[in-house]
Amino acid sequence: MDPKAVVEQLAKLVAPEQINTNEDDLYVASADRYKKYAFARNVLDVPAPVAIVYPKTAEQVSELLKFCNEYDINVIPRAGMTATEGGLENWKDTTLVIDTQKLDQIVKIDTYNSQATVQAGVPLQVLEDELRKLGYTTGHSPQSKPVAKFGGLVATRSIGQFSTLYGGIEDMVVGLECVFPDGTVSRVKNVSRRAGGPDIRHIVIGNEGALCYITEVTVKIFKYYPENNKFYGYLTKDIETGIKILREVMVNGFRPSVARAYSEEDAAQHFYHFYEGKCIVLFMAEGPKGIVEATGVAIEEAVKKFEEGIIKQVDSKLIEDWFNHLNWSQQDIDDEYAEMRTNASHAGYTTEISADWETIPKIYDAVIARVRAEFERADDLTMLGGHSSHSYLNGTNMYFVYNYKINCEPEDELITYHHPIQKIIVEETLKHGGSMCHHHGIGKYRSEWTKDEHGSAYYMLEKLKEAFDPKGIMNHGTIYPVKELNKYIYQQD
Amino acid sequence: MKLVCVVKFVPDVDRFEYDHEKHVLIREGSRMMINPDDGCAIGFALEMKKRNPEIFIEVLTMAPASVVPLVEDILRVGVDQGTIISDRSYAGSDSWVTSRILGRYLATTEYDCILTGSQAIDGDTSHVPPQLGEILGLGQISGITKVEEDSFGSESAVVEVDDEEAVTTYELNLPAILSFSRKSKCRLPHVRFKDRKKDVTDRIKVLSNDELGFAKGEVGLKGSLTKVAKAYTRKYESGAQLRVAADDNGVETVLKFLKEKRFL
Repeated sequence: MDPKAVVEQLAKLVAPEQINTNEDDLYVASADRYKKYAFARNVLDVPAPVAIVYPKTAEQVSELLKFCNEYDINVIPRAGMTATEGGLENWKDTTLVIDTQKLDQIVKIDTYNSQATVQAGVPLQVLEDELRKLGYTTGHSPQSKPVAKFGGLVATRSIGQFSTLYGGIEDMVVGLECVFPDGTVSRVKNVSRRAGGPDIRHIVIGNEGALCYITEVTVKIFKYYPENNKFYGYLTKDIETGIKILREVMVNGFRPSVARAYSEEDAAQHFYHFYEGKCIVLFMAEGPKGIVEATGVAIEEAVKKFEEGIIKQVDSKLIEDWFNHLNWSQQDIDDEYAEMRTNASHAGYTTEISADWETIPKIYDAVIARVRAEFERADDLTMLGGHSSHSYLNGTNMYFVYNYKINCEPEDELITYHHPIQKIIVEETLKHGGSMCHHHGIGKYRSEWTKDEHGSAYYMLEKLKEAFDPKGIMNHGTIYPVKELNKYIYQQD
Repeated sequence: MKLVCVVKFVPDVDRFEYDHEKHVLIREGSRMMINPDDGCAIGFALEMKKRNPEIFIEVLTMAPASVVPLVEDILRVGVDQGTIISDRSYAGSDSWVTSRILGRYLATTEYDCILTGSQAIDGDTSHVPPQLGEILGLGQISGITKVEEDSFGSESAVVEVDDEEAVTTYELNLPAILSFSRKSKCRLPHVRFKDRKKDVTDRIKVLSNDELGFAKGEVGLKGSLTKVAKAYTRKYESGAQLRVAADDNGVETVLKFLKEKRFL
């Protein structure tokens, strides 16, 4: 179906004000933050979608998906637009972006049952602000909190800065509503726990728009005790000491809301005013007073156990101040785009992986060694380091952080710099048995390794696609590898 | 139409190496880059070629053989021919000898216009372009920030020179030597990813003194009329200026800047 006919048909399904064909908006809708530099320089190499549509109900989403399914029109579900791995990038000539903008209602805040129901287009910050008025919190605080919306948070299996206490979004979602390509609207009911077969929430959580469209979410809410918060920070001789301290606290059964260890290179970015060229480990303890105090004692005991690796304690006010300014707003994103339009530089990239406690330091060392030895543009690197920011009983994550001078055309930046570094990180992680994506999702730019990530379990993932999206209209190229990888990553015709 | 870009490869300013006893730059073994002003000259030529694909661009340089990969990259962005004049006996040549060497080659080739940079970041004498003009009997002008692209042809060129006090427009009869400033918006593009391994060796010509035929005493340190007494590294780039009002926004902007630069 040609673009004009698609728009004509759309007009029969939704009102005119729900259809956007503005050229500038379509350019914005053709990619996400993965190609941020090429986007800023107006040289994106991907096709623009035909239109952006803003449904108001699950029924409208159902009609739209049935239409797209019938006419083989690619669908990209979109919410807060903070994706970083190409999940919102368009690789098809005929694509519809279905945006959650008009699914923006908080349906119910239920403090007695500790849960809140929102439509997919509600920004996390909006719900958080409402909950704070009632003395509650979502407990979810990704750096994108001021911008991100619930549909995207659930679709990408996101995580927040307090995850060690509250968990990732998968631990918070109680129930949800979603729509499949054949038009079926499914509601997963809100219960405290059940053993009614496999937990089907997890077919939807993390599907990245490749299986279905999320329209509503119910999440847990938590009592909020900001007056009890305690902060701890220490300079350490190496990142391994920091990771050992994180592990000690976790395996002893404590759950600080924030538990992080930084390499000296990454510490320089965040704590330049006090890091003294050293690594840093830091904590935040949160919750009821007794729990906070017990957690604080546990942190101090863990630090004591590894005191040979500790250089000194940092004033907790410095950690608190830093944490209060950590999130990036829409203004920060806009500022970075403005910078990229005039200068050959940006705020850098990250690749986040996870593994068990024993393996994480091995992956870190292997990656740093390989990047230094193999990366052709190593001379252009201005920063290469990492931090662990989400810990679990059996392991933690590693957030590799890197930046570089851009000495190439904007169209070639990713294949010249980010992709080769990310490839090394992914290869080393998979070789050591870790996961190549801790919380950004696979998107399109890690889909070339999806089969390696899942191994024999890829069979299950593949069957989900065949069952729910047999015609492959949902977010073509996301999670599941497709031939366009060669064109849009490796520039091969 | 044929454009010849006379360019110089200079040591990367971050890795400057200098023989303090002989007062010469150590070019062999040090990391080299295209002189920024000269990159603008090639950038302009490529812009013209984009408008008129019939234009033939030759890049000419006098340099050690180690610059071949850099010349190859220039060919990969659309330049048609690279000519490298390279001979051990030329090492240490001052700007006058360099101009004579380049001039002898240029006297044997055809061109409609010669494009160069104005200043080199390693020597900064700005001698070569005007000396070439004298040797070849051509008009020459330095510090060009803009060339009127629509009227640029085989007859004349209209250029702007910005000397910080005024912007002056000149019209030169061609052939002439147009010497660009890095203040011009012309930019030498990077090699595209798909072209990085493109074989361009058949478009490179390397000439030595066998072809140019200078006597030993005419070139190198011996043939040079000038000697370097002392050299120092010049700071070129000054930061962009931003004026803020003495209000909350201004204070916030300054605070953010100081934090970004890690003063706070």
